[in-house]
Amino acid sequence: MTHHPSAAEAPRTGPVIERPPLAPLIDVRDLAKHFTMRRRPPVRAVDGVTFRVAPGELVGYLGPNGAGKSTTLKMLTGLLVPTSGHITVAGRIPWRERRAHVATIGAVFGQRTSLWWDLPVIESFDLLRYIYRIPAERYRANLDTFRDLLDLDAFLQTPVRSLSLGQRMRADFAAAMLHDPTVLFLDEPTIGLDVVAKERVRRFVRHLNAERGTTVLLTTHDLADVERLCHRVLIIDGGRLLYDGNLAELQRRFGGRRELVIDLAEDVTDIGGDGSANRLDDPRFAVPGADVIARDGPRITYAFDRDATTAADLIARVTQRLRVVDLALKEPDIETTVRRIYEERLLDGA
Amino acid sequence: MRQGRAWRRGIASCVGRGEAIAEAIASPLRRAHHPVADLRHHLGLLVRLVGAQVRSQLQYRVSFTMDFVSSFLMFGFEFGALAALFVRFETLGGWTLGEVAFMGGLTAVSFKTMDMLFSGFDPPAFGEHVRKGTFDAILLRPAPLTLQVLGSRFVLMRVGAIAEGVAVFALALWLVDVHWTAAKLAFLPLVVIGQLAFFAALFVIGSTVTFWTVDSIEAMNILTYGGHELNQYPAHIYPLGLRRFFTYVVPTLFLAYYPTLYLLDKPDPTGMPSWVRFVGPVIGLGAFAGAMAIWHIGIRHYRSTGT
Repeated sequence: MTHHPSAAEAPRTGPVIERPPLAPLIDVRDLAKHFTMRRRPPVRAVDGVTFRVAPGELVGYLGPNGAGKSTTLKMLTGLLVPTSGHITVAGRIPWRERRAHVATIGAVFGQRTSLWWDLPVIESFDLLRYIYRIPAERYRANLDTFRDLLDLDAFLQTPVRSLSLGQRMRADFAAAMLHDPTVLFLDEPTIGLDVVAKERVRRFVRHLNAERGTTVLLTTHDLADVERLCHRVLIIDGGRLLYDGNLAELQRRFGGRRELVIDLAEDVTDIGGDGSANRLDDPRFAVPGADVIARDGPRITYAFDRDATTAADLIARVTQRLRVVDLALKEPDIETTVRRIYEERLLDGA
Repeated sequence: MRQGRAWRRGIASCVGRGEAIAEAIASPLRRAHHPVADLRHHLGLLVRLVGAQVRSQLQYRVSFTMDFVSSFLMFGFEFGALAALFVRFETLGGWTLGEVAFMGGLTAVSFKTMDMLFSGFDPPAFGEHVRKGTFDAILLRPAPLTLQVLGSRFVLMRVGAIAEGVAVFALALWLVDVHWTAAKLAFLPLVVIGQLAFFAALFVIGSTVTFWTVDSIEAMNILTYGGHELNQYPAHIYPLGLRRFFTYVVPTLFLAYYPTLYLLDKPDPTGMPSWVRFVGPVIGLGAFAGAMAIWHIGIRHYRSTGT
């Protein structure tokens, strides 16, 4: 399997039969986008980003507001032309071959719809069937699947402008997948949705990735999306890629300490001789390898480092000394981890 | 085709998730069509886009009927007011009521038809697309952009205004004794097309400007609607400065006034050479071609800066 750069530039109508499958489905190298504004220094929205995504991957693209996430996504989908650098998606240069490129990708931009505002959902779907030249049986099969997975039946005949945000999102997801795209780009796909709708959208994305092998790149503010969906995350800030790796590794390196919460059989609230209540260094509750970080009546919270102590060891030690009726183990949430990374600039110079 | 399938199978066996990838790479093959077939497909899309909107707008039958009726009432009032003026003054710059109605009807039919066909390029509506970011949805679909914009909006209610124009023109034909020749009959549709194309060009340019700024829409509207209004009355009654502006800067006078001089065998008090009576359609189509070039520059700008 060799790379034929000339194949990407070949005219669409010519016989391109010899094009081999390229190893990375998305290949981004030294990508930069600078916006120039009048009487102001240029804004380096994306400033030298390099990454590759293999077929079938589900990748989260994270970063604080203004980090360059949306700008990257706009270049990947062919909406924006980069200032410099290189992108291929499925062997094509998005902005140079707009029509061929967009025919093979799907995109959902959470903030806005790609459906026709005044038309019933099903009419939008039918127009898309025509535009993408989707074979009739593929269209029917996909529509049936999506109606089921996204529960579309209740509003298929409703004009898009009258849909709730959750319904519109589901319709947009179905619309983005009717033509069996190989890659799906999602920009804030769960923004503004309630918990149930978010879960439904996540289930759908997982289904596409698992059952159809759809490659997914998604930006999000909701780290639960990432936790549920992505094995690999890219973190961008100030237009630069700060981290590219799996989520567990990120958590291991930058996550806070794990917590063990226990409920004792009796209330152990006490007032010390100096008047302080619930002292954290009360020797009755001291356990090697962990620190008491909170006390509230019968409830005591320990924090421990994952490298120093295993959860099983700690539980054994605690239950040996104390009469525990209930316990819970809390992982540091990714939200806190990522916030720490942004705020404390943990990845700077990485 | 069989060869293609075998090739696809070959690839599918190479890679784990082969089928999806092979499909993605093969899809341009499936989609690569003959240019003529492509054109037919695109026109089919336009018909579908417009058809879907017409259907959805016809659901509001009451408001549609109301609009149609009110258009006709408007016509009654406007024409009545114009006729009342002629009772008092008899002629307007040497033109009779019928002659003014002839040009006014012609202009109205051209402009309102343009207003309906190019609803998608109506600058305020298009500017809203750009501002809200929904223009991106158009860029994300594998179909020609211009065609998608044309199909993005279709204001069927303009039919009422077109009918009003037709009625004015019909009345004019009844009032004026036009000396029709084969050449005049052939020229008449060209006048309509030229005027339609010219104002469509102003719409397209106005929409393109919204890629840079939405503040200029009003300025553009003055040219579009001002030019259209001015084209309803004999131009030689206007002050020289105004006439020069709409001759040399925004050449709307070539589109209706000079062609009407020819069609109705009227003298030219502005003293232009006689061939200017025939340049309207050329100017209209030329302006449209220029507007399309500007439109493509605008798209390139949009894709390099976003919103």
